[in-house]
Amino acid sequence: MVNPDMNAPIDLPSGITLYPSHDKAIDRVLNDLMQKSPAQFILLAEASGQILSALGERTTADLVALSSLVAGDLAASQEIARLTDQYQNYQLILREGPQTNTFITEAGQHLVLFVRVSKEVPLGWARLLIHEASRQLADIVTTLPEEVEKLDLGLSEEKLSSLVDGGLDSIWKG
Amino acid sequence: MQINWQLRELNLKIVYYGPALSGKTTNLEQIHARVDPAHRSDLVSLKTREDRTLYFDFLQLELGKINNLTPKIHLYTVPGQSYYEASRRLVLRGADGVVFVADSAPECANANMVAWQDMESHLASFDMPIERLPIVLQCNKQDLYGAIPPLHIQEILHLFAVPAIPAVAMQGEGVFDTLKAITRGVIACVQRQAAIA
Repeated sequence: MVNPDMNAPIDLPSGITLYPSHDKAIDRVLNDLMQKSPAQFILLAEASGQILSALGERTTADLVALSSLVAGDLAASQEIARLTDQYQNYQLILREGPQTNTFITEAGQHLVLFVRVSKEVPLGWARLLIHEASRQLADIVTTLPEEVEKLDLGLSEEKLSSLVDGGLDSIWKG
Repeated sequence: MQINWQLRELNLKIVYYGPALSGKTTNLEQIHARVDPAHRSDLVSLKTREDRTLYFDFLQLELGKINNLTPKIHLYTVPGQSYYEASRRLVLRGADGVVFVADSAPECANANMVAWQDMESHLASFDMPIERLPIVLQCNKQDLYGAIPPLHIQEILHLFAVPAIPAVAMQGEGVFDTLKAITRGVIACVQRQAAIA
């Protein structure tokens, strides 16, 4: 063991850490948004494109790929807003389609939310609910749980690097 | 990096950076072609009509369960052309490790240098000192006549402490070695951060 206290969850400076209690709180917010709007599909990803949660009617789209594109779309939009002096927190992108509208919004610094609603849902209503949900999600992930769950992901494992090496070997067809 | 305790996932972001046409996208295409489809996502490529990277390429690899942990590796490339500087900066954000794909053609020595400096300045703008980031130097196109040897590329870029891997990415040579080397570096870095935390 590198560090005997490694059973405690860690809060790494370069990213976010999601605890089981975070997941429950996130699920509550997303389910609430799903029902109230009502939304057809919701996807929550980390700002760098890593998928965290998805609920509702899934299409055939590869969710991992969709998640990376959603994050890229938001990042580009944020940068455009900065370059044109129009940046504000909780940036929102609306894409109008023939049957549905999709919203992409930042939920604080770390998260991006993608929501698809029917054209019958008023845009103002959807926007209001999505903004509210985004704020709640941002609060959730920036609040450390009062009682931190004791889990060991095995990050202290001395041989972790060679185990990951072996994992790569096993998926490589050559 | 992002940890999901519920799913016991460790998500890592690795960015392939380098000058235009150095072979960044080729690396991801080779990985996509050679990894068991059950363990990878589709390859997402945002390209121009001329088949050049417009924004980024993306590929996710999912390793099997290791101890209590499922590592997922997210691979991104940046657009190499000089006028996509703003896009490169965006893709680089949140990177846990970088593969710098250098072009070994003698006439590209300066382009490698410029790309390296460009990356350094972007990282500095995120308050990410380059010495804290795991980096692997891939010296691609080693099959070219008069290709600059890896040691010489390390000298030109002053990268003596960075692992340098010779490659011919078009033929898949050095692609897997590079992926393994950067993953090893990133995992070691994660463990160091975890120990500090």
